Amino acid sequence: MSAAETRDLELRDVRRSFGATQALRGVSLAVRQGEVYGLVGPDGAGKTTAMRILSGLLRPHEGSATVLGVDPAHPRGEARERLGLVPQRNTLYGDLSVDENLHFFASLFGLSRPDFEARRERLLHITRLGRFTERRADALSGGMYKKLALACALLHRPRVLLLDEPTNGVDPVSRRELWELLYGLVHEGMTLLVSTPYMDEAARCHRVGLLYEGQLIAEGEPRALARAHGVSPSDFESVFLAIIARRDGRAA
Amino acid sequence: MVASTFGRSGGRILAIAGKEVLHIRRDPRTLYLALAMPVVMLVLFGFGISFDVDHLELAVVDQDGTWASRELVRQFTASKEFVVSTESPSPEQALRDARRGHVVAVLVLPKGFARAVSSGGAQVQLLVDGADGNTATQVLAKAQALIQVASPRLAGEGAPLPAPPVEVRIRTLFNPGGRSALFVVPGLAAYLLAIVAVLMTALTVAREWERGSMEQLFATPVGRMEIVVGKLLPYLCIGLAQVLLVLTAGAWVFSVPIRGSLPVLGLGALLFLIGMLGQGLLISVVTRNQVVATQVATLTSMLPSMLLSGFIFPISNLPAPLRLLSTLIPARYFVSVLRGVLLRGNGLEVLWPQLGALALFALLILAAAMARFQRRLD
Repeated sequence: MSAAETRDLELRDVRRSFGATQALRGVSLAVRQGEVYGLVGPDGAGKTTAMRILSGLLRPHEGSATVLGVDPAHPRGEARERLGLVPQRNTLYGDLSVDENLHFFASLFGLSRPDFEARRERLLHITRLGRFTERRADALSGGMYKKLALACALLHRPRVLLLDEPTNGVDPVSRRELWELLYGLVHEGMTLLVSTPYMDEAARCHRVGLLYEGQLIAEGEPRALARAHGVSPSDFESVFLAIIARRDGRAA
Repeated sequence: MVASTFGRSGGRILAIAGKEVLHIRRDPRTLYLALAMPVVMLVLFGFGISFDVDHLELAVVDQDGTWASRELVRQFTASKEFVVSTESPSPEQALRDARRGHVVAVLVLPKGFARAVSSGGAQVQLLVDGADGNTATQVLAKAQALIQVASPRLAGEGAPLPAPPVEVRIRTLFNPGGRSALFVVPGLAAYLLAIVAVLMTALTVAREWERGSMEQLFATPVGRMEIVVGKLLPYLCIGLAQVLLVLTAGAWVFSVPIRGSLPVLGLGALLFLIGMLGQGLLISVVTRNQVVATQVATLTSMLPSMLLSGFIFPISNLPAPLRLLSTLIPARYFVSVLRGVLLRGNGLEVLWPQLGALALFALLILAAAMARFQRRLD
């Protein structure tokens, strides 16, 4: 197996602007099969833009994106069949119940009735939403809502999962549960790209990319990055601040 | 392979349509708005918009005070088209009433009227309030007709009347009673359906953009066409139910007949609704915002359907530029189809150009909506 074949997600020198704002300024990254890649950065760094380009919701102005070797924005939608997305915003149907949301998204992915029943049972089990199937999505807590979004994104057994700030607004207990759930998926061979503004979550990833003002300013294994900056891996915020300080100092 | 693709596509369309039905069930106000509002408005407007003029308030200035002058006044009031509101001693007094809007016309019977009738040169003066042009025109027509009928009686039963050189025998076709409801209700039906259909779709798609659920939809294999068809299907069914309700209310409350081909009426309604739903879709795709979509939908459906459809103002009376503009308004063709089928008893052989125009509009507006509806967030 060649190196190129193991890259499930790839951005190559991607640039994207919104009016005068440059959201991404020549970002290149690659996520290997079975890896948890953390895209870490403050608000406005360009994480959501990168996620949207990889899920085919936006086109890059320059550069290219591939998911499992194909253009995610291609009208045939090959990539979408094998990709799951948990967007940052609450984008499920709030007036529909947990079960109705699951059924709706399963229908869009063309799951047969028996397959849906099996997937529904499994996903409700791992997300612990089994007791809330009749509850409307907008009546769920923040953590449960994210788990439902995750369950909807996993219905069609995607090989690659994009999670845009999945722990945003989620309490610490639910955050831990969510990460345990994600590790379980990786164990099954799934590739994960997770964006987060929380530096402590970087330590949970196999590799991280630090996105700052639309540029990938550092990339590597969390421990290696921490070691390189003489900081404890558990204090990833200091790693991030040190990298920014060094970069800004160079720029000055 | 092809069958499987169609099967999956059909499944996704049904999934989108089913989801819309769930939204409607969760918020039944949409359904009430869609079904009850047109019927309520039809009844209110049907009674409210009336060009039938009767019980006109008349001021009478009888300066003659003879049998002949009283007989002419009696002729005016006998048919109930006029009622004597005031009897004034002088024209000046009666004019004051007219200025205050208490009467629509002043009938002045001068001194010596009876004598003049006997000698064949009688004159009466009718002063009409022209502030309401439509009423004024009808007052004049009714007064002239009444005087024409009353003249032989006033001249004496036995007096010979010269035969007119040309006698016109008038028979009004399709609406012999000249009832406004028969003219107004079909136009009103098109007007109400246009507003509700455009508004419903404009809101439902704009809501998806606003809530962000479009992002979630775009991350699935569902295609643009599947979203559009799935979204339109439930509203098309609601629209067709509206047509049935409105026609039933029209027949029941206003005795509007259905004299022509029902399948042609159904086809016309279907094409008109597809066009209107497509217009709503285009608005929501362009605006992506419920408030703006509501305003644009109301403006672009209400005004043209009322002013340029022939619903109230005959298209032939419009200035040339507006007449040309009216050819782009689908309500114009649907009003023709409704009047043609309901009143004139028309079928496909007469109404095919209108049906063709409706089909063309539906096709073009859906194509425009599809072209603007990109499967991306930018």
